[in-house]
Amino acid sequence: MLTRWNEIEKMVGAMDLFRSHFDKALWRENTPCYVRGDGYDKTQSLPTNVTDTGDSLVLLAEVPGVKKEDLSININGTSLEIGGSRKNTLPEGFKANRKERMERSFSRRFTLPYEVDADSIEASLNNGILRLILPKSEAARPKQITVH
Amino acid sequence: MNKTKDMPTPAPQGKVTESQKTRLPRLTPAVDIYESDNAFQLLADLPGVVRENISINVEKGKLSLSATRSGVSSKEANWQEFADVEYERIFSVPQTIEVDRIEAQFSDGVLNLHLPKSAAAQPRKISIATA
Repeated sequence: MLTRWNEIEKMVGAMDLFRSHFDKALWRENTPCYVRGDGYDKTQSLPTNVTDTGDSLVLLAEVPGVKKEDLSININGTSLEIGGSRKNTLPEGFKANRKERMERSFSRRFTLPYEVDADSIEASLNNGILRLILPKSEAARPKQITVH
Repeated sequence: MNKTKDMPTPAPQGKVTESQKTRLPRLTPAVDIYESDNAFQLLADLPGVVRENISINVEKGKLSLSATRSGVSSKEANWQEFADVEYERIFSVPQTIEVDRIEAQFSDGVLNLHLPKSAAAQPRKISIATA
């Protein structure tokens, strides 16, 4: 139980852990929900939730305003990379009074704790949430061992 | 051993009432506001929300937007960076908005509100009549 949590933590990265501690310290009820990364850096990180269901890894990511065509998901061995961009087109004839939703391009790489079956990965995008289901490869699944 | 890493919840002020304990954490959605001669356009990021859970109310010069997101938090999650929240934000709207003609659209987790200005509020050129 303890090792599994540690694997997931390593996967998401120590740097992110540090950043989330900072977010907790600076949390204020009225802060717009993503003021992650600094204003100068256009490549921002992607809020992600990971659940290990035993047979697969389920990954949820917040990508509002991003269309399927603008998302790129690549898997290479145990390295999963999710990237994409969102354009903020100013409507014709309008000028901006307030801009909080930054035009963003994001990219995040994960080192998965086990091999996954790349051919049966399912990805769906609904209401701005990306859901990735990564089935573990046979060798990585939990198995029952019977004692004779 | 606590496996989940939860989103921080804002600390309740003073005594914690029953409703505060069960209430979802509140989050302010990021918005863009654009203006043209005849309308305002408001775009709000509400990822993970379903259309039925959004409520938009205009009353006494205030536009209040609220939406609930559920289904992203899970007790079994190993790593959680975003949670089930209630998005809420209130804006003051000028008197010049024609409330009856406000239109809203929601796609890809982004809410798009079109707020037309009333005809009286639009800029008009005033020409001087020749005497």
